[in-house]
Amino acid sequence: MKKKHLIAAAAALALSATAGVATAQTQAKHKIFLSMSFIGNDWQGEAANMIKAMAASKTMADKVDLQVQVAGPNAQRQIQQINAMVQAGAKAIIVFPISPTALNSAVKNACEKGVTVIAYDGEITEPCAYNVAIDQEEAGRVTAEWLVKKLNGKGNIVAITGVPGTSVDTLRTKAAKEVFAKHPDIKIVNEAVGMWSQAVARTELSKILATRKWDQIDGLWMQVGCYTANTMQIEAGIAEDKLKPCAGEGANGGRVQMLPTGTEVEGANGTYKPMAAPRISYASPPYSGALALKLAVAKLEGKEVAKKTVLPLPVVTNETIKLCQEGSWAEMKAGCNAFKPSIVTNPGWFASIFSNETPEIGLNAALVGQPEN
Amino acid sequence: MNALAATAPRTAPSSRVRSWPDRLRGPLIAVGVFLICLGLVRWLSGGTLGYYEIGTLAAGGATLAIAASGQTIVVLTGGFDLSAAAVISLVNVSLAGQMQDSPGSIALWVVLGIGIGAATGAFNGLFIAGLRLQPIVVTLATMFILQGVTLLVMDKPGGEIPSGFAQALTGDAVPGLLPMPVLLLALLIALWVALKNTLFGKALPALGSDREAARAAGLSVRLHEFFAYVLAGGLYGLAGVFISAQTGSGDPLVGNPMLLQMFAAVVLGGTVLGGGRGGIVGTIFGAYVLMLVVNILLVLNVPAFYSSVVEGLILVLAVLASSLARDSVLLRTLRQVVARSAARSAGRLPRQLDLPPARVALPMTDPTVERPVWWRRHAEALRNGLPAYLCFVAVLVVTQFVLGNTILSWPYYDSLVVLGCFLAILALGQGAVILTGGLDLSLPWTIGLCGILCAGLLSGSDAALAYAVPAVLAVGALIGLVNGLGIVALGLSPIVMTLAMNGILQGAALVYSGGTPSGFASPALRWLMTAKVFGVTPIVPFVALFAAGAAILLGRTVFGRRVYAIGNGERPAELSGVPVKATLVKVYMLSGLCAAVVGILLSGFSGQASLGMGDDYLLPSIAVVVVGGALITGGRGSYLGMLGGVLLLTALQTLLAGTTLPYATRAILYGVVVLGAVVALRERSH
Repeated sequence: MKKKHLIAAAAALALSATAGVATAQTQAKHKIFLSMSFIGNDWQGEAANMIKAMAASKTMADKVDLQVQVAGPNAQRQIQQINAMVQAGAKAIIVFPISPTALNSAVKNACEKGVTVIAYDGEITEPCAYNVAIDQEEAGRVTAEWLVKKLNGKGNIVAITGVPGTSVDTLRTKAAKEVFAKHPDIKIVNEAVGMWSQAVARTELSKILATRKWDQIDGLWMQVGCYTANTMQIEAGIAEDKLKPCAGEGANGGRVQMLPTGTEVEGANGTYKPMAAPRISYASPPYSGALALKLAVAKLEGKEVAKKTVLPLPVVTNETIKLCQEGSWAEMKAGCNAFKPSIVTNPGWFASIFSNETPEIGLNAALVGQPEN
Repeated sequence: MNALAATAPRTAPSSRVRSWPDRLRGPLIAVGVFLICLGLVRWLSGGTLGYYEIGTLAAGGATLAIAASGQTIVVLTGGFDLSAAAVISLVNVSLAGQMQDSPGSIALWVVLGIGIGAATGAFNGLFIAGLRLQPIVVTLATMFILQGVTLLVMDKPGGEIPSGFAQALTGDAVPGLLPMPVLLLALLIALWVALKNTLFGKALPALGSDREAARAAGLSVRLHEFFAYVLAGGLYGLAGVFISAQTGSGDPLVGNPMLLQMFAAVVLGGTVLGGGRGGIVGTIFGAYVLMLVVNILLVLNVPAFYSSVVEGLILVLAVLASSLARDSVLLRTLRQVVARSAARSAGRLPRQLDLPPARVALPMTDPTVERPVWWRRHAEALRNGLPAYLCFVAVLVVTQFVLGNTILSWPYYDSLVVLGCFLAILALGQGAVILTGGLDLSLPWTIGLCGILCAGLLSGSDAALAYAVPAVLAVGALIGLVNGLGIVALGLSPIVMTLAMNGILQGAALVYSGGTPSGFASPALRWLMTAKVFGVTPIVPFVALFAAGAAILLGRTVFGRRVYAIGNGERPAELSGVPVKATLVKVYMLSGLCAAVVGILLSGFSGQASLGMGDDYLLPSIAVVVVGGALITGGRGSYLGMLGGVLLLTALQTLLAGTTLPYATRAILYGVVVLGAVVALRERSH
C-alpha cells in the first residue's frame, strides 16, 4: 500500500529526471504561506481543509511550515498580504487569486525575491506564476453539449451563471453559449446570475418561476444550483421521474440525487436522497490547492514543475455515479464519487475531491483537515 | 480670511489656544495609531523597516487613501457616497483597455480617468444638490449603473497598463529616498491645506455642521455641495488611475470591495459621519492603518476564522481611543453610572424619595375640534409613500406586457410576497434604525449567524423548533443589545459599531460552523416557506400580519413616536422626556430580532444555511427604506411606505430576472429605476 502511494506521488509530480538525492528531509522546514480569498463558502473551506491536511500528511509534515491568511474578497488586501508574506520570509506562496490580473505586479515582485507563487483554481496571468486549475471553457462546453444531447437538440433552457465580471464565469458561460448557438432549436429563455451559491440560485429561480411555469422549461444549465432546482421541482409537485435534465455543479446533494431511486443511503432526508435525477455534475475540484502545495514543495526541492497544470475535468453522469461507503482515497480511486448524507450533512458541500495525484488526502481531509496517513 | 485671522485672537484668545489641538486631534490620533501599528509590525516580525518596505506599503495603501480622501470630502458636507468604489473599477477597466505606451496617450488617459470620476461626481451632484435628493440613494443608484457600465466595457479581467506608467506612479520619486506614492499623497495633503483656506474649503464642513446656518451666512449651499461631489469624484478617478498603475491591468470587480473599507478609513481618521468635522490627513493615515492590519494579522499568525474579529476590534478600539481624550460619551456614561449608584446607596434617587406628584396639568383643549378628513391627516405619509406604490404598479404593467402571467395571476403575487418577505421584515428593523438617524451594517452576518445557528440546532427535527427558534431570536436580540449599548454607552457612531459587529459575527459564524455549516431546516420550517396550500405559500398570511403589526408599532405606539422624536432631534427629544438611550437600545434590538427572523426564514427557504447568506440583503434593506420615502437622516418615513419600496424593488428584480438581458444591462436598468423612483419622491414644497 505504502509503496503504491510513493509511486503515485512520484508519477503525479511528473518530474524531470534530475534524480538527485532529496535533501529536503535534512533541511529546515519550508516556510509556505497560503493566501485564501473569502472563507464565506463551502468550496473555500474544503480547499483550505485539504491544503492543511496535505501539509500535515506524512509525506509533507516534516517539510512544510504552513501559515494560512485570509484576504477576503478584496484584491488590494491580497496584494498587501502577498507583499507582507514576502517580507516575512516566505519560500513559497499558495494563492487563491481574487483577480487573475490585479495581483500581477505583487506576484512579479515576489518572484524577483525568489519566492515561488502558485495559484489554484483561479489563474494568475503573470508569467512567473504557476497555475493549477481546470480548463473553464471545457467545463462550459462539455456540460452544454451534454444538455443539448439530453434534450435531443430542442427545448427551452434556463441558465444560471456565476459571479459576473470574473474570468471563470465569463469563460464558462461563453463556451456554453457557443454550443447552444449551434443548435437553433435550443432557446435560452431565462438567464440569471447565481453567484455560485445554492441560496442565490433558489432566489433567482423563484423570480423566474413567478412568471413562468416548470412545464415551459425543458432543461437547466447552472454553474451552481442543480440540487436546489431539483428540490424546487419536487416541492412544486413534479414526480421524481419527470425531473428536468440539469447540467451543473458537483455538490454532494446533487450527486446523491443522481443515484438510482431506491438506493439505500444513510442519513437521507427531504430531497437530499436518491431520485435518479438526470444530471451531469462537474466541478472545479477543491483539491487543487492541496496539489498546488505539493507542487510548491517539489519546486522548492529543486524539481521541475510545469508552469501550468491543467486538471482533468471531473465529470459525473448518471452512468458513472457511485456511492462511497467511507470516502478513503483508495475507495474513491476505485470509482466512487458521492458521499452519504450521514457523513456529509451539508448538501451544498462539493464532492469532487478525488485526484489521482493526491493520495495523502481523502474525505476526512476535505471535511476536517485530516490526512489519510 | 485676513479679517477673520485678525479678529480671532482679539475676541477669544484662550479659545484659539484650546481649539487647535482639538481640531488636530482626529488626524493626530490617526497618525499615532498608524505609528503604533507600524512599530508593532516591525517589533513582532523582527524584520527591517527600510526604504523598500516603506515603498511597498506606500504603494499598497495609496488607492484606498486617495479614494477615502474623496469620500471624506463628501462626508464633511454631511453626505454619503456609495458610488466611490464603482468609479474605481470603471476607471480601471477604461484605462486597461486603452492606454498606450506613449507620453501623449498616458497623459490623455490619466486626465480622462480623473474626468470619468469628476463626471460621475457631477451626475451625483446634479441630483443631490440640484434636485435635493438623498445622497445615499442617488449614489446607490449610480453605483448600480456604473457597475453595469463597467461590465459593458470589460466583462472579465484583462487588458494591460504600460509598465513605464506603472513604474512612474508606484516607483521612486527620488531613488532610495522618496517613493512616488508618498510624494503623491504629500501633494494631496498640501492641496488640501491650501484648499482649506479658500471659501470652498471652509464651506465644506459648514455645510455638514449646519446647512441652514451656512445658507444664512450667505454661502451658496447648492453650488458648493455640487462641487464637493465633483471633487470627490475626481479623487475616486485618481484612485482608479493609481490602482491601474499598481496592478498593471484591468479587473471589473477590483474596486467594489473597497467601499466599506473607505468608510472605516474615514472614521479612523477622525472625520465625523454626518459631517462638519474632519479632514483628509487623518483619513490617509486611517487608510494605512487598515492596510497594516493585514500585516499585523500575518505576523501574529491570527487563525483565518478570527481575522474579521480582530479587524472589528481594532476599528472599535481606534475610534474609542480618539474619543477618550475629550469629554467622551464613555467617560460621561461611567460618571453617570458612578453617580447613580452613589445616589442609590444614599437613597437619593427620585423614585426612592417619597415626592409628591408634581405633574403640570394643562387646561383641556376644546374637544369639538373637527377632525380633518383622512387623506388630509395622512397627507405627508401619502406624499412620501405613494410614489413607491405608483412605481410598483408601473412595473407590474410592464411585466405583464413583457412576460405575461402577471397582473391577474395569483402565483406571481405569491412569489412576490415570498421573495419580498425577507426585505419586508428587515425593513422594520433597518427602518426603525434609520428613523432614529442611525444605520445597521451588522445585518449581513446577523442573518448569517442566526441562519446557521437555526439550521444547526434544528438538524431537521420539528421538535427542536420549540427551543431553536427562541434561542436564535434571543441571539438576534442580544446582538442588537450589544450594538445599542456600544452606540449609547460608548458613544460610537452607529456605522462604526455595527460595521465592527458585522466582522465579529462573521468570525463567530465561522468558528461555530468550522467553515462548513452543517444541519438543515426542519420539515415544518421548509413547509412554511415552500409548500403550497390551495396555491398559497403558508408564509404569506404571516407576512400580511407582520406588516400590519409593524405599521402599528411604528405608527401608533409610544415606542414608534419616540423613534420619530429621536430622529427629529435627539436633544429636543431628551428634553421632552423621551428616554432616548433606552429607546435607541430597543431599536437596535428590534433590528437584531428582525435579522434573526430573516435568518430563520432564509434557512427554511433554502433548506439549509450557508455562510454569507445575508450578504445580499444589506444594501437592499437600506434601499427599500429610502425608496419607501424615509429620510436617511431620520425622523421621516412610514412602514407602509417602506413596504411599497419592498414591493417595487422585488417586482423590478422579478421583471429583470424574467428577461434574458445581460447582467450589465440589468444593473443599469435597476439603478435607473431606483433613481427614477426617488426623483418622483422629491419634495416639491421647497
